[in-house]
Amino acid sequence: MTAVLEVQDVTLRFGGLTAIDGVSFQVAQGQILAVIGPNGAGKTSLFNTITGIYPPTHGRVLIGGREIARSLTRRTVWGWIAAGVGTGVVASLGVNLADLWTHGINDLFAPPRPFPWFQALAAVFQGLAPTVWTATPFLLGTVAGIAGAASLWHSSRRGPDLVARAGVGRTFQNIRLFRSASCLDNVLVGMHPRLTSRWIDALFRLRRHRVDTAEGTAKARELLALVGLEDQAHRPAGELPYGHQRRLEIARALALDPTLLLLDEPAAGMNPTEGRELTALIRRIRDRGTTCLLIEHDMAVVMEVSDRIVVLHYGRRIAEGTPAEIRADPRVIEAYLGRDGIPSRVQTATVAPGVRHG
Amino acid sequence: MERLRPWLVPAAALLFAVILPVIDRTLPSALSIAGLMPGLMVFAIVALGLNLVTGFTGLLHLGVAAFMAIGAYTYAIATSPVYPFQIGPWPGVFLAIVVTAASGLALGLPAVRLRGDYLAIVTLGFGEFVQDTLRNLDPVTKGTMGINPVPPLISGHGLSTYYLYLGLLVLAILASRNLRDSRLGRAWRAIRADELAARSMGIGVARLKLAAMAAGAALCGLGGAAWSALQGSSVEPGSYDFQLSIGVLCAVIVGGLGSLPGVVVGVLLMFGLNQIVLVKLSNAFGLTGANAAVWAQPTNWKYLVFGLALVLMMRFRPEGLWPEEKSP
Repeated sequence: MTAVLEVQDVTLRFGGLTAIDGVSFQVAQGQILAVIGPNGAGKTSLFNTITGIYPPTHGRVLIGGREIARSLTRRTVWGWIAAGVGTGVVASLGVNLADLWTHGINDLFAPPRPFPWFQALAAVFQGLAPTVWTATPFLLGTVAGIAGAASLWHSSRRGPDLVARAGVGRTFQNIRLFRSASCLDNVLVGMHPRLTSRWIDALFRLRRHRVDTAEGTAKARELLALVGLEDQAHRPAGELPYGHQRRLEIARALALDPTLLLLDEPAAGMNPTEGRELTALIRRIRDRGTTCLLIEHDMAVVMEVSDRIVVLHYGRRIAEGTPAEIRADPRVIEAYLGRDGIPSRVQTATVAPGVRHG
Repeated sequence: MERLRPWLVPAAALLFAVILPVIDRTLPSALSIAGLMPGLMVFAIVALGLNLVTGFTGLLHLGVAAFMAIGAYTYAIATSPVYPFQIGPWPGVFLAIVVTAASGLALGLPAVRLRGDYLAIVTLGFGEFVQDTLRNLDPVTKGTMGINPVPPLISGHGLSTYYLYLGLLVLAILASRNLRDSRLGRAWRAIRADELAARSMGIGVARLKLAAMAAGAALCGLGGAAWSALQGSSVEPGSYDFQLSIGVLCAVIVGGLGSLPGVVVGVLLMFGLNQIVLVKLSNAFGLTGANAAVWAQPTNWKYLVFGLALVLMMRFRPEGLWPEEKSP
């Protein structure tokens, strides 16, 4: 069985800073995997790499066994060529417009004589016969059009929207709800890729728009009920208390029907009771068939909820295993507490370069 | 009753707009305004177009006058008897909408990835570019003279024109509302609120920004075509200048960015002041032309009033006179 998510040897560098250094792990269907590590270990950078906000400097992220990027098909290339030729024709027409219009229309138009359309067309074709003044703008326009279309395609080839459409929902460490929109609307925005109505349906209130609205609203209410916010549907999201906002963000991410849900510190700022409720919620989400990947500092939540744990330290994966294994792993204890209670960085600096001591 | 409440104000406003020409008949001609209203309605349509781009999607756009000009010239070229096309008023309006929407796309394709101020500068440049092109493409646009005559949308004067333009404005409002309360409109507002979060929800931000630019341009094109039909001329290129774009933007901001009633109120106030109140004042006191010093003519005060209104709004009511509802 292919893993829902496979991170293969991913490295992420910002200039000279290596945020993630050769990290690999897999998440299997139905698992809850937690990524832990001290502050600055690269956890959120890892999430941003998985969701396509940062392209990895090296390595690959596979979702459902494939890399999420638009592939270069023959149709794409034909599309660029069509855009290029179109731009060329428009450029050529544009440069010669004054002359074409004069000869094709102004010279021939003499009411009450009926307008000679064919003669006008002939004049336009004649005006567009290949000369320096028609061919040059055509060629330059074509080249510019192809280059423009290709660069537009290239810049939209990867990105968080494609990853989301592939079925990866996420929440953010510093809650990013649409604060002035209602809770219901927040969830409906999350449902965007799953709804099908288009602008024409909306403009004329056609059937597809009405069906979309009705079904979407019903499903959004279900999700609000799942996270316990059903009675807050019409309140602006920004007015909710902090813990509720975190749960609303989860509902919004679930609206995508994700196969994989990324939760970035879902328990941050919650008290122990809320933490336990959150644990139950994550379990319920898993039982609905969604695989979960979470970053968390609250060890009670992590140990309680996760099937496996990956530990990051300075961008490296230093351990992976079940909660029991991680709890007992000396490398993890060292990363969090330092060796003999001395912070690890200080220790490496004084002990590791043995040359000076030796 | 609770369900009817949101309809109360719009219904009252519409009723007032419908009976306005009747009230107008009973007033002395110095006070009558119905004849000047269709012009205001045109600018309200243009402002609604800008509101789709700047109000809903949050893209600062400083070139709406250019789209209005493209709409006006397309309508003029397609319908004027000085050219052989003469496709008639309504096909002309349709063509104007299609052409402006396409030019909105053409401007958006290279520009849509720019953020904030950079996009604003590109739209500003586009406005100047269109104006200069229209002025210098003499054989097609008749240069600074403009194209005339241009047929009106409806024959006869006064009442029929008034109600037709009112109808167009109502249609533009309904179209804006339908787009706002849909999957597309929610996604637009999500982009405005937080672009990264919107992308992480699977919203193709570039594509939807393009859609907003095209839809906004289409409404401006409708406004332009209606303006040209109302004036009986494409009007000279210089009138579609930066001042006009900024004026429409001011009206939208004063009324309330993203709020449909706000936009209409903003246009009625700002353009109404400019095109009706100040003109009537000038006439009433005989302060026109050579009769009065330049500074003493109320018609010359419009930028003073615009500026003052903006400063006061930003200080006391930055969200606009009729702000967008928080939660629809």
